[in-house]
Amino acid sequence: MLVTGIKSKPVYAPLQADTRGRCHLMLGMGVGAAPLLRVIAEMGTAAPKGLQNTHVLFVPDAGTAGEVERFRAAVGSVQAFPSTPALLGEFRSTLGRALMGTRLYVAGPESFIGLVMKIALEFNLNKDEIRAEECGTLARRVYCIHCRATTENVRTNIVRCVECGRWLLVRDHYSRRLAAYMGVMVDAEAPGELPQLVEVFL
Amino acid sequence: MNDAQTIAVEVVGVEQVTPLIKHFKLAPVGGGSLPVFSGGSHIIVVMRAADRVHKNPYSLLGSPSQLETYEIGVRRMEESRGGSHYMHDRVAVGSRLEIAHPVNLFGLDKIARKHVLIAGGIGITPFLAQLEDLHGGAVPYELHYSVRSAEHAAFLERLRRREGERLHMYHDSEGQMIPFETLLAAQPLGTHVYVCGPAGMINHVINTARSCGWPDSHIHWEQFSAPPVGDAFEVFLARSKISVHVPHDQSLLESIEAAGVEVPYLCRGGVCGFCHTRVLELDGELVHNDHFLSDADKAKGSSIMPCVSRAHCKRLVLDL
Repeated sequence: MLVTGIKSKPVYAPLQADTRGRCHLMLGMGVGAAPLLRVIAEMGTAAPKGLQNTHVLFVPDAGTAGEVERFRAAVGSVQAFPSTPALLGEFRSTLGRALMGTRLYVAGPESFIGLVMKIALEFNLNKDEIRAEECGTLARRVYCIHCRATTENVRTNIVRCVECGRWLLVRDHYSRRLAAYMGVMVDAEAPGELPQLVEVFL
Repeated sequence: MNDAQTIAVEVVGVEQVTPLIKHFKLAPVGGGSLPVFSGGSHIIVVMRAADRVHKNPYSLLGSPSQLETYEIGVRRMEESRGGSHYMHDRVAVGSRLEIAHPVNLFGLDKIARKHVLIAGGIGITPFLAQLEDLHGGAVPYELHYSVRSAEHAAFLERLRRREGERLHMYHDSEGQMIPFETLLAAQPLGTHVYVCGPAGMINHVINTARSCGWPDSHIHWEQFSAPPVGDAFEVFLARSKISVHVPHDQSLLESIEAAGVEVPYLCRGGVCGFCHTRVLELDGELVHNDHFLSDADKAKGSSIMPCVSRAHCKRLVLDL
């Protein structure tokens, strides 16, 4: 039902240090700390000078609050934020000041990566300047194609839109501009006939 | 592209703009409009000389919104194989030529946040049309234009009038150099750099940008190589079942065309990859002069760009 095999679904790869970059901007959330620390260690071996020009923006959760100190011990500057929106605000102004030669490393849940990518796109960063590794929850941001509202933290195959209340089928069709998966009314042709609700994005 | 699709044009203006560069205006025979193009496009000009046919690529330098005429700038090349000399010595107002439809292999990135244009000498031509698109737009840009000396600065008045302080001039004769390193190290995120000029300048810009951490997707360049001369050799066209002699001063593509076999092409300068041809047999080595094949593909030797590349061999068999 138009759910899988869709090319717009983003593909991620394990982070790797790109030593050709002159400045390294690392953004992480929660369990995203581990891949970032791994790439920092890699850089420490391959191009230690790069660490002075490495900046970390991080949203810790209960399990990763301690990682902030590990970042501080390793790189030039570290900023911790209480929430993703707070991080994104600082990220936007950082990109406004950044120069060509900057590389972006993003690690965290897909919804976090998507929101970061959305801003990076506005600054015309190409995919060869951005690396992203997905870790943590697969919960999706779902865009209702009927009322244009976005429902956050969706873990199920179908979901009720937070705004209009329609039952939406969560597709793999992804919009980088909206940083969300498309949600399409699931019972438009047979009102009330819903597939079984299943938790699929854990 | 092949000859069946050319447009007949008449030369309606010729001006010597520097000691080496002539500016030509071409209008369609019989009036009307020429095809729409975008800044950075080039055309192939077909020149039917007495002894041979020249087909050279030239950038369109006029405004893309003005289609009554096309404008090109032609530099007289010292080691010309004849094309630029033909344009300079034999073409005058009233001359008839044929041109191929415009093709753009050097377009501006549409979502760039800033454009840095770097021109060396005759390399200014594609930028003249691009500037028409950029002028008055919201995206910031700057042009760095390097010439031998003041008298070699083609189209300078047009640029000064329009671009003001966005134009940065450099004269070799006064020891002025484009400060590539400081220029490329200090550009805001989302900048694209474009370079057109001598091979040394292009390579220097590419290498400097890379060393400043620029990804290749933000580095754009165009250089049409004239087909270099070389040893004469024989080529056998497997599908056409004919043998063709390639003289030392004629390109492989030209020789194949002269034998009546059409090869698809767009740029004739080793850039676009359109004339990519499979090599079936070879008893020597290929002399790759194109900018299209990767070094690995060149080493493999299983394909060739006949527009600029040749072979050092007794026998070459191509899949044509």
